[in-house]
Amino acid sequence: MYGKKIMEFLKSNGIEFGDIIKVEAEGISEEGELMPSTEANSEDIIILKMKNGYNAGIRFDGAKISKIRKGVPVHEFPHSEITQKKSLPKVTLIYTGGTIGSKLDYKTGGVYMLLKPEELLYEVPELANVAELKVDPLFSISSEDMSYLEWQEIAKRVHEAEKEGSRGVVVTIGTDTMHYASAALSFMLNGIGIPVVLTGAQRSSDRGSSDAFMNLFCSVVLAARSEIKGVGICMHKTSSDSECGFIRGTRARKMHTSRRDAFRPINDGYIATVSYSGEITYVSKDYANPKRDKKGNEPLVGFEKNVALVKAYPNSDPGIIDYYVSKGYKGIIIEGTGLGHTPVSTEHEHYSWLPNIKNAVEKGVIVGMTSQCLYGRVNPNVYRNLRLLSGAGVVYCEDMTPETAYVKLAWLLGNYDADTAKKMLNSNVAGEISSRSDYEDFLV
Amino acid sequence: MEKNHDEAYYKSLGFMCGLEIHQRLATEEKLFCSCSASLDELPPRHEVTRHQRAVAGELGEIDRSAKFEELKDRSFMYKLNDEHACLVDIDEEPPHTMNRKALDIALLLAASMNMKVPAELEPMRKEVVDGSNPSAFQRSTLAGLNGRITVNGNEIEIPSMFLEEESAGIIKNAESYAEYDTSRIGIPLIEIDTFPYIKTPQEAKSVALHIGTLLRLTGLVQRGIGSIRQDVNVSIKGGSRIEIKGLQELADMDKYIENEVVRQQKLLEIAKLLRSRNAEVSESQMDLTEIFASTESKLILSSMKAGGSVLGFRLKNFRGVIGMEVNPGRRLGSEISDYAKMAGVKGIIHGDEDMGKYSISGSELGEIRKRLSLSDNDSFIMVAAKQDVAEKALALAIERAKMAMDIVPPETRAVDNRELYTTRFMRPLPGGSRMYPETDTKPIYVMEEMLISAKRRRISVEEERSRLKSELGSEDMAERMMLSTGLPLYREITENKSIDKQFVANVLLQKFRELQRDGVDVESIEGERVKQIFDMFSEGAVAKQAVEQLLRLAAKEPKTPITDIVKSNGLGRVAGKKLEDLVSKELKGRNLSDKNELSLFIKSFMSEHRLNVDGSELNEIIAKLSKGSKK
Repeated sequence: MYGKKIMEFLKSNGIEFGDIIKVEAEGISEEGELMPSTEANSEDIIILKMKNGYNAGIRFDGAKISKIRKGVPVHEFPHSEITQKKSLPKVTLIYTGGTIGSKLDYKTGGVYMLLKPEELLYEVPELANVAELKVDPLFSISSEDMSYLEWQEIAKRVHEAEKEGSRGVVVTIGTDTMHYASAALSFMLNGIGIPVVLTGAQRSSDRGSSDAFMNLFCSVVLAARSEIKGVGICMHKTSSDSECGFIRGTRARKMHTSRRDAFRPINDGYIATVSYSGEITYVSKDYANPKRDKKGNEPLVGFEKNVALVKAYPNSDPGIIDYYVSKGYKGIIIEGTGLGHTPVSTEHEHYSWLPNIKNAVEKGVIVGMTSQCLYGRVNPNVYRNLRLLSGAGVVYCEDMTPETAYVKLAWLLGNYDADTAKKMLNSNVAGEISSRSDYEDFLV
Repeated sequence: MEKNHDEAYYKSLGFMCGLEIHQRLATEEKLFCSCSASLDELPPRHEVTRHQRAVAGELGEIDRSAKFEELKDRSFMYKLNDEHACLVDIDEEPPHTMNRKALDIALLLAASMNMKVPAELEPMRKEVVDGSNPSAFQRSTLAGLNGRITVNGNEIEIPSMFLEEESAGIIKNAESYAEYDTSRIGIPLIEIDTFPYIKTPQEAKSVALHIGTLLRLTGLVQRGIGSIRQDVNVSIKGGSRIEIKGLQELADMDKYIENEVVRQQKLLEIAKLLRSRNAEVSESQMDLTEIFASTESKLILSSMKAGGSVLGFRLKNFRGVIGMEVNPGRRLGSEISDYAKMAGVKGIIHGDEDMGKYSISGSELGEIRKRLSLSDNDSFIMVAAKQDVAEKALALAIERAKMAMDIVPPETRAVDNRELYTTRFMRPLPGGSRMYPETDTKPIYVMEEMLISAKRRRISVEEERSRLKSELGSEDMAERMMLSTGLPLYREITENKSIDKQFVANVLLQKFRELQRDGVDVESIEGERVKQIFDMFSEGAVAKQAVEQLLRLAAKEPKTPITDIVKSNGLGRVAGKKLEDLVSKELKGRNLSDKNELSLFIKSFMSEHRLNVDGSELNEIIAKLSKGSKK
């Protein structure tokens, strides 16, 4: 948004965004549409959209600006005239934010959500042949701003959709923390009898090359047609627009900042793949085999917010553990090195995490160990240092990712007593732990 | 083709013409990433496949031409080599900061064309859905406004200049997919636009030439095939704006423009004729497949064997019109066919053609006429292809045929035939709505120092021309040097040096051509080595006559240092005392006052020492010696 000086000028001259104005400054004399500015623009610049479609930033100080005429009112987003087919499977599409379900309105600078099925179908018309869509706008939150409170809301909505007879549910969500959300929903909705497909976009959907279109299409295909029962992430499997991969909600991780195929299964393979022509191929055998069939039961949405995820690294200060203990935290997941280490027998005593961890465990805090290697399984026995930590009461979290372990511990503490939570932490609840490590599940 | 019409003639037609000139800049890195911007060919190592679709632009509407491309429902394959392309180029990583060197060149050009530069440059995304950019848009930034240049005494306005990304090079364009090489994507490109007030096709050529010269004079632009492309916009009264894309041969620009004028005139005549005949285009497509159950037409047969259908529609009162010529070798039928081809058919068959050409029998034709209820004044169009493709093709043909009754459709056209200077339809002319801000990169606040520095270095074609004229003493030489690729080298060689500039120019313009014709690849000699040869000449280390020989040897031995070539071939100059001694030794016993004898001596001396001795110095020494002998 423009600074105070420009805003005041615009207001006192009755100029609004989208109005046609004339600007004369520094030898430039142009007519064009007044555009809003963003935080990237310099303060003394006004943005003019010229007749040729280009924007130019013109210095406000010393410029002569006059209104030529009122702009056309903010456009209506184009709608599709495609009618939905009642005969197709019902799929509920829950919007929670992220680039996938939104359009930037350049006139106001605001984000505009595609709220109606006809708006969405305008963008991805092929959805009309896959499902009868119900669009359920829940909220519009950036991935990085999402908390467990939103995960709880999403879980409840998914449950309602299932009760209302949806064949499947697609949740559009920002990608940065999507794997935390998918883990949380996997636990909260454990045993659900329909496919719950989380999807998003790495390229915003206002560009013709966006991955949103295929991700959305494949996700709706999975929700409408697949035999999957449970929560997972459906995103590009490669950089090409050829197929999406469906990853178990507790096993996914964002492994690249920007690529389309950023999401990968960790210590697991894909559950299924979906081609852009809508063909589903099941890769894993347990896609339709939830541990418990809790259809109809309320989701278990409790979540303990006083759980932390900390990283051990050379020169790290173990005081971080004391800090969380003093703040009354009930659980801590450590992202250790290698097989699950923190510094313990160091020459420099103040770098050892052992006394701090012992103290935490004694105070009843559940301390779980995962590995920053991400791939592979932690092991409490191989080295003396590992035995020291495990002897101090640290729970070794098998082949769980640090993020999933964090979410799981918070969920366990939100729904079970501490003893049960501790016991359940390193046993499988929702596909997050397996007893075998498959050769093929590395760098998938 | 009618030729040499004057300004008044074009004025009477309501001729409008403007240019868009695209020039690749010679930077080391690309505009928004650190990939090499060089053009050396490296084999592709990876491939990604993508789909694209038209999205609503900043103002909500989907651009018509963008939609049109989408209709083609294609996939795009991008080949990449790691040295030339990174994740930014294949739309897998946000752009990095804009290349400062490219920006600097843009500002230099803006200063050279007296343009105003916006205080803050706003990178935009220009939607392209033909696949030529994996992101489905080209990043383009308005970098100059309100400029003007003087061409042949006429002021030409340059309303805008843009700094943008080069697109991907097309490798293969098939029916259902296109293959692109990503090496080129993102090389900085300058687009310079003129107002459409160019008065004649010849003036268009002069303006293009002038801008091309200005670009070259910077010494900061890429050279060679494809590094400069000119798009021409042409319209006449009653006609429409047509953009002819990608003319690489400047020499023929006027001929393409002349042809476009004729094409629009002919299309307007056709429209008038059709209206006077109350022509009509039938919207209903008829299935004619059955007619050809036992056809001998190979074309139709092969399509039917592949499960295709034959569809057609009626053109009421069109008889003879589809076959009318609009340009050499092109008829209205060619224009309609271009549209149909967008759906993926190879072409159309129309009623003004000789059916024998396709081995369509008289009875089949009779049957066609019956099915389509054609009367004598009617014509028809049909296509043979898979049902859905045929339907799409006919819909496009119907659309184009309807336009023939009333307008010249606004289009982007490409060169069709280089010998006949004709063009063909590429896509509808894009509207103005396919722009939206590039929000992934920051706007650029233009610092005052950058503008001052650009102004100080500004280049004027006129000034360069008069400077060359005074240096080379001839308008012709100056003009040839202006157009020559050797100009930057000429400047390097002659800068801050007292050297015979005419000699340098002669070697670069004339001698080089002669040697190249002789099979000596002088063009391959690195500029730096050519400069060394001239430096040695200007320092007196080699004689004028040795320069040609040195060029021959330098071309043959690209790895040998010039100084070694001089030494091992005995090409060092003999001068001063050494020359004097040599001359006086050989002069012994000769009568210097005998003019005939003296000239004979000079002749024989020079034929022996031609490559090592400067003739004028020899003359000076002889004059000195003869003076001495008189004493």
